[in-house]
Amino acid sequence: MSRLERLPWRRIILIVLSLALLTLVIVGSVATLSKPAGQGGYSGKTWVGFIVDGIAQGAIIALIALGYTLVYGILRMINFAHGEVMMAGAFASFFFLDAYAASGFLNRHPITVLLIVTFVAVIVSMSVAVLLERIAYRPLRNAPRLVPLITAIGASLFLSNAFRGFFGPQARGYPKPDVLTGSFDIGGLDIPKVRVLVFVVAIVCMLSLQLFVARTKTGRSMRAVAQDREIASLMGIDVNRVIMITFAIGGLLAGVAGVLFAETFEQVRFDMGFRPGIAAFTAAVLGGIGSIGGAALGGFALGLLQSIGPALLLSGFGIPSPFSLKDAFTFLVLVLVLVFRPGGLLGTGEQEKV
Amino acid sequence: MSANAAAPTPVLEIRGVQKHFGGLYALSGLDMEVHEGEIVSVIGPNGAGKSTLFNVITGIYEPDDGDVLYGGASIVGLRPHQVVKLGIARTFQNVRLFANMTILENAMVGQHCRSHGGLFGSILRTPGVRAEEQRIRERAETALAFFGRRLVGYRLDQPAFSLSYANRRRLEMARAMATDPTMILLDEPTAGMNPRETLELRDHIVRMRDEVGLTVIVIEHDMRVVKGVSDRVIACDYGQKIAEGTYDEVAHDERVIEAYLGTKAD
Amino acid sequence: MGRLVRAGLAAGAVTIFLALVGLIERFKDLELVGSQITLSLLFLVLPPFVAGYVVGRPRVERGERREVTRNEALTWGAIAGAVSGALVGAATVFADAFGIDRIRAVFIQATSGLIEILTFGLTPVVGALVLVALSAVAGALGGGLHLLPARIRRPVVSAVTAVLLLGFLQRIVPVALAELNLADEWLYFHAGGLTWFGAAVVAAAAVGISILRDRQGSQIRARLSFGGNGSGREGMDLGRLIALAVIVALLLAIPQLLGTVISDVLGSVMVFILLGLGLNIVVGYAGLLDLGYVAFFAFGAYTTGILTGGNLNSFQGITKPVVSADLNFYLAIPVVVVLAALVGVLIGAPVLRLRGDYLALVTLGLGEMVTVLVASPWLTPLVGGPSGMRDVSDAAIGNISFRDPKSFYYLALAFVLLALFVSRRLYGSRIGRAWTAMREDEQTADAMGISTTSYKLLAFAMGGAIGSLGGALFAVKIGSLTPASFEVLVSIQVLGIVILGGLGSLPGVVVGALVLVGLPGVLREFEEYRLLAYGAALVAVMVLRPQGLVPNVRRSRELQEEEVAQDAWAAGSPDEEAPAVETAAT
Repeated sequence: MSRLERLPWRRIILIVLSLALLTLVIVGSVATLSKPAGQGGYSGKTWVGFIVDGIAQGAIIALIALGYTLVYGILRMINFAHGEVMMAGAFASFFFLDAYAASGFLNRHPITVLLIVTFVAVIVSMSVAVLLERIAYRPLRNAPRLVPLITAIGASLFLSNAFRGFFGPQARGYPKPDVLTGSFDIGGLDIPKVRVLVFVVAIVCMLSLQLFVARTKTGRSMRAVAQDREIASLMGIDVNRVIMITFAIGGLLAGVAGVLFAETFEQVRFDMGFRPGIAAFTAAVLGGIGSIGGAALGGFALGLLQSIGPALLLSGFGIPSPFSLKDAFTFLVLVLVLVFRPGGLLGTGEQEKV
Repeated sequence: MSANAAAPTPVLEIRGVQKHFGGLYALSGLDMEVHEGEIVSVIGPNGAGKSTLFNVITGIYEPDDGDVLYGGASIVGLRPHQVVKLGIARTFQNVRLFANMTILENAMVGQHCRSHGGLFGSILRTPGVRAEEQRIRERAETALAFFGRRLVGYRLDQPAFSLSYANRRRLEMARAMATDPTMILLDEPTAGMNPRETLELRDHIVRMRDEVGLTVIVIEHDMRVVKGVSDRVIACDYGQKIAEGTYDEVAHDERVIEAYLGTKAD
Repeated sequence: MGRLVRAGLAAGAVTIFLALVGLIERFKDLELVGSQITLSLLFLVLPPFVAGYVVGRPRVERGERREVTRNEALTWGAIAGAVSGALVGAATVFADAFGIDRIRAVFIQATSGLIEILTFGLTPVVGALVLVALSAVAGALGGGLHLLPARIRRPVVSAVTAVLLLGFLQRIVPVALAELNLADEWLYFHAGGLTWFGAAVVAAAAVGISILRDRQGSQIRARLSFGGNGSGREGMDLGRLIALAVIVALLLAIPQLLGTVISDVLGSVMVFILLGLGLNIVVGYAGLLDLGYVAFFAFGAYTTGILTGGNLNSFQGITKPVVSADLNFYLAIPVVVVLAALVGVLIGAPVLRLRGDYLALVTLGLGEMVTVLVASPWLTPLVGGPSGMRDVSDAAIGNISFRDPKSFYYLALAFVLLALFVSRRLYGSRIGRAWTAMREDEQTADAMGISTTSYKLLAFAMGGAIGSLGGALFAVKIGSLTPASFEVLVSIQVLGIVILGGLGSLPGVVVGALVLVGLPGVLREFEEYRLLAYGAALVAVMVLRPQGLVPNVRRSRELQEEEVAQDAWAAGSPDEEAPAVETAAT
């Protein structure tokens, strides 16, 4: 066996790649930060704006990511159609919200309306999620991993196009109550009210979920099924029910996320679930898939990466209009995480033993 | 049993190999030697680290410490397919066949490391590649024929999943033999076989050494087999060697008895 | 009873879904047979029929498999059907009373036209009752299907399927017949579906073929199968050569037979077959789930454009890309293919160790990145950004341009045949064996001497090479390239083709492409619902028949739980009828 064949090639290449990437990151950042505002650089205020946006975005992504991570923990599959679950809820809520807005009710009782509308979104999202599980995933519980993956992709296509068939291809403007327009002045910084709401709601949801999973009986069952499905059933846990509940909870969070997303971007469209869906499972993987804290952390991290990353790294190299590459950036993050650290930020850093 | 002629250098040397998984020490300083043409049995209670030893030798795991020498040169760090190329073949404790491939194809896969047919040769089916395929097929059939009439004839085109349990084990061994090895590692080859099949396999193992010239290392629990084939027996427990010698020596060794049965309650 | 109601409600929900998504109204004029049997009607009748069929299936009751009696089959089917019809009918009546226009504010397909269809032009309540009756009959028929012995059932099903299928293909078959100057009015209506007489003829033919198939079935199937044997024992005997020659002759004649429009569609089908063949190597042979295949497609197309003197549409008018060459198409192709293979290796290298779904995600990410990059301002100097590239070579030889549909068909056919040849050879070779072993059990394959790293990279390289060929062809066909043609959706479509046809099955790829690209291309009204159908097809195939339409027998067992394929495989051996049985001597 020649010396050449015995070198740990893979390790060498990975190390070289990491160093190269690190260099690129540092060079790019330094270059951007050293440019004065207006000539390819950004002012302090702009950066703050980026950060705020990133955190708010990240909150929404985190909410959706939680759905992915829960399902993955229990079934070891990526529910590609989860983005569409969010879209369904958002769309459903739109019709109610639109009616309330038209009648003026929205601005008279914004909180009530928003609660009602969120409730609608949640119900619809949960239903879609549960139906999805029942029809498309349950028959495939024991199939090789390839199969449910493809099914999920098909379901995603199907759902988004079904909604296109139902409601048409145009985007619909999502009404915003007056109470939410404008920004708060916090310490001299302009923070849009919507972003604050999004952040608060998201945090509340995440904490509730954490409590639920850690403290309640159902939460315990969920964790048991995630660890070992067969033994859990032998311990008297109704596995089918637990899986259904998991999907429902994921749907619930997605519904909330849908409303928040729609309010942030002020529109709904049949294909609005695709990009956030990909961002969300990138986030879940980034944080360590299967872990709730990981999904939350990953969500915020990705949000920040998405808003700061392109500007920070790409401007430095003189790449024009870095934001158009925002999505490419997300995918790059996904690829890098999966290649270098598939366990995610909160994972062990090692490859899972096959 | 033939007398073991000790070769100048042992064909396989294991020096102080350690392997742990988290807090579990599967191998904690194992030393052993195997000489050419020997049939060595490795015995020990479950969890003693025997399969882990095979995995370390064949490159599936890398040892945390220690060395494995084959023909005097270290093979630590080699990938499994490189180890096979050097001449070490193996079977698995839980039979790992390519269930949806035919019996002949399973055996032909064994010859993969002894052939070179490349991309263009395969697409164009050059005479060289065609001749090589023919040779591969013949070698595979020879390896299969080692087990008599069971894996030949019309059987060749049957999918592996249709085989009986004993035949699956035999196929796995044939596949390993088809890699033209110099040494073969058998991991509990008679597990799950009935007494008659077990005795038959015992004879096959001896034939492997006598007819094909292989050096054989066998992990076994069935002492009839161990007694019937071994030139030497090595007993392990808790990842270490606890006894070594002929079957009778090891069978009466106090430490071995204690490992299997425990000590008497006083 | 609950079972029946559930089935009926589900069927009814499906019908309402079909209505709300627009399918029922859209196809009310697509006549399949005569002027009465439209696709709309089929959509109305199919769900209750299926419900009846499902309900009448033999069941396991108290540990015993129990066939359904005649009365049960018919009544249960009828009940399920009736429930379905009742649900739809009730919804229709409600919608009409509530005011269909108000519903349309939300569900845009809810028009009065739809109501008319659902009530057959009668008043709502009466129409609803008619629907209930019709659904009950459909359900009863579905349940009754179980009562027919298999010998009769198969020809009947074949006949009905054939009639519907040919009615569906009303754009293709009459055109072909017309070109051949065969009489047309007796088979098809002008611009319509089959005549009743024509339907009878088709049905009779289908019955005949079905009966023949049962008699000769397995033999013919074995002859025609491209499955290929890893041990490479099949050779080219005279029979197969003749069959092959006939097929090739037919293929060559098609553009003359079917006209320009259809040749154009078939050209697109060919491009997708090429893509499917490439992906088939990666996913079907090597078992690597690649969701970013569009990357190779785009690479092939744009590189071809760049190398053959394509120009960019930019603000300043027409400019040259930053890197440009003016090679002959046929000189550029090898360069493109080799480069694409290298790209394949580059993409494959970092992802070698990843498990199934992670691999899928990474490749999806990479594919998406390419999509975004190709449209980005950053790469505009190279590939033209959103406005794209134009003036790609038309692959001319002498003064024959290959851009017009009929000539392009021949160019594409040549490439496809080449790719088929390469795929087949690879499958039956040592390399194919290695891939199959790797796919079955990667660790064991490694332990048996197969360098999984090398073979995975090889699969990516080959997949990339063939995919880029598809891209190059596409570039020639269209002549100009915009990022809109290279969305991630393409990857999913190609995956759909490979899956629908059958993973690892070469004829499957062809069938898949014909169904998923050819049909919508020929039947323009389907364009709108193409993606919806894709999604539904993917789910349906995975849940019901994961081995696809034309399965690779070996793969079948990997993908489904039943033993049916096992027995079929084992029984196919020439010198025995039953699966292998151990004799006492062993």
